[in-house]
Amino acid sequence: MSEIQALLERQARWQKTRQALSWPEKVRMAERVLESVRQLRRPRKAEPDNPERTPP
Amino acid sequence: MKAVAQLLNEMRSSGVIRNYALFGAVAQMRYTEPVATLDADVLVAVSQPDRLDVLGDIYAFCAARGYPPEGEAIRVGPWPTQFVPVFTPLTREAMEQAETADFDGVPFRVVKAVHLAVIALSVGRAKDFARILSLLESGSVTRQEIGLLAARHDLSAAWRQFETRFPHE
Repeated sequence: MSEIQALLERQARWQKTRQALSWPEKVRMAERVLESVRQLRRPRKAEPDNPERTPP
Repeated sequence: MKAVAQLLNEMRSSGVIRNYALFGAVAQMRYTEPVATLDADVLVAVSQPDRLDVLGDIYAFCAARGYPPEGEAIRVGPWPTQFVPVFTPLTREAMEQAETADFDGVPFRVVKAVHLAVIALSVGRAKDFARILSLLESGSVTRQEIGLLAARHDLSAAWRQFETRFPHE
């Protein structure tokens, strides 16, 4: 349990360091994942034999 | 994003818009850790607000510089950029009181954290509440500041609801 706690605390510290980056650097990080976000949020076509299921 | 800043400054100096300020997720990142987003949102005060085609001059200006429309946005480099005319006293105030930040040497007007939070409060989706929490956690705004601004814009009930749902620890 203490190892998990330590892991979570390290993760929180790491996330804080990203907050301290310059604004342009943070925007460039968002820019690097822009296309992936676009793909993920794109509405998918349902499979013809199962309209409720979308392809992976 | 530097190209967006340059375009907006040029738009303002040429009189196509009276003023502008970046808001939404890209503005939020000035205060918090980076977040994933699909586009850049810009509040604008247009020069001829009574025109039916209120964004017409903006689209023409962008097209002349090689920035094409893409859905309800204009694509500037990798960023679909949405132009939102100031539509309430809150958004007008947010735009007028925006701060001028530096983006790689280019001045870029950005809505203040407290206005970002109260605009998010007024919209009220789950991701808007997440934005408010993120701004609070970053220390860029306090609950008291949000409460005061919310009260001035008739959003006290929404703020009380938020505080009940997300009490201060």
